Amino acid sequence: MVQLNLPENSKVKKGKYFKDRTGSKNLKKVNIYRWDPSSGENPRIDTYEVDMDNCSSKVLDILNKIKNEIDPTLAYRRSCAHGVCGSCAMNMGGKNGLACTKPHSEIDGDIDIYPLPHLKVRKDLIGDLDGLYKQYKSIEPWLKSNSKSESEEIFQSKEDRKKLDGAYECIMCACCSTSCPSYWWNGDKYLGPAVLLQAYRWIIDSRDDEKQARLKKVADELKLYRCHTILNCTSACPKGLNPAKAIAEIKKMLATANI
Amino acid sequence: MENKEPLSPHIQIYKWQISSLVSISHRITGIINIIVITLVCLLASLLSLGENNYEIIYLFLSSLVGKFFILGITWSFSFQILSEIRHLIMDLGYGFELKITKITGLIVIFGSIFLTVFFFLVGKNFF
Repeated sequence: MVQLNLPENSKVKKGKYFKDRTGSKNLKKVNIYRWDPSSGENPRIDTYEVDMDNCSSKVLDILNKIKNEIDPTLAYRRSCAHGVCGSCAMNMGGKNGLACTKPHSEIDGDIDIYPLPHLKVRKDLIGDLDGLYKQYKSIEPWLKSNSKSESEEIFQSKEDRKKLDGAYECIMCACCSTSCPSYWWNGDKYLGPAVLLQAYRWIIDSRDDEKQARLKKVADELKLYRCHTILNCTSACPKGLNPAKAIAEIKKMLATANI
Repeated sequence: MENKEPLSPHIQIYKWQISSLVSISHRITGIINIIVITLVCLLASLLSLGENNYEIIYLFLSSLVGKFFILGITWSFSFQILSEIRHLIMDLGYGFELKITKITGLIVIFGSIFLTVFFFLVGKNFF
C-alpha cells in the first residue's frame, strides 16, 4: 500500500553536532542517518564537520574518515571499496549508489547520507535486505539444463553470449530496487528491478532449457507488471546497467510468446 | 517481541528525476482526464434537458474560473497524449537509455505546454 508518511517510530529527529577539531579551512558538513537499536529512541541525523583537505575523493572515504577520526560508533557496510562487492550501497545526496564509487565532489552543498530507502533499518546505514534475497532465491538463479552429460561443456555462440552483456554484471547491491517507488509500495509482492534483471538474465541464456517455465513464473500482475517505467532503477544503477529495459524485454517476450 | 526497527526514509529524501516526474504526472493527468470525461458526458446529458442548462454551462465556461478549467484540462489531455506515445515506444523496447529517457521526458513536459498554447490560439482563431 502507498504510505507516504513514515511510521511514528521512524520519524527522524535532529541529532548531535560534531564540530571540527582540526582547524581546517576546507570543511564540509555531512549529515548522516543514525539509529541505535539498543537506545529505544527514534532515528536521528548527526552532523559532522569533515576536513576535506585530508580526505580522498569518494563518499566512502568520508565515512571511513568519520569512523576513524571522529565517531567510531558509526555503522555501515563496506568491503571491497572498488564497486565490485556492492556492500556500501546507500542513499547519498538523494540518490542511491555505491559509496565507494560515488565522488563526493558530485554532491553540491552539505552531503546527506541515508540508508537505502524503505528498508527496515538494522543500525545506522545498514538496511535489512532479507526480503530481496528471498525474492532472488524465488527466481532460481542457476542454470537448468536438460543435458545428461556432466563432463561436457554446453557451447554458446558469440551472439548468444552477447545477450548476457548488461545483465550478468549485476552485483545485487539493491540500489535499483530500493530506488523504485513501485517496490516501496509493493515490495512484498513485486519482484523489483534487481531480481527481474536476474530473471531476464536466465530467461535469455541460450544454455538454459527452462525458458518457458521461467517466463510463466514471472508473468504475474504483481511480480512483473508493477513496473511503470519510472526509471529510477536505471538512473540509480552504479554499474550503468538498465534493469528497466530488461523488464520491458520480459514484457515483450510475454506479449509475443505462446504460454 | 515487538518489531521496533524503523523504516528508512524513502519518498521524503529521494531526488526527483525527470522520468519519475513524468511517470507520476501521467497517473495524475490520467485520473483528471477520467473525471473530466465523466463531467463532459454529464454536461451533454444536461443539454438534452433544455436550453436553460446551455446558458448556465456557457456562463460557467466563459467565466475566469471556467477558462482556467478549460486551459487546465487542455494541458492535462496534451500531457496524457504525449506521455502515452512515450509509453507506447517504451513498450516496443525503445528509448530506455538514460539520456533518451531524459530527452523524451522533457519533450513530454514542454510539448504539453506547447500544445496547450497551440490549442488556445486555435480556439482564438489565431491562425
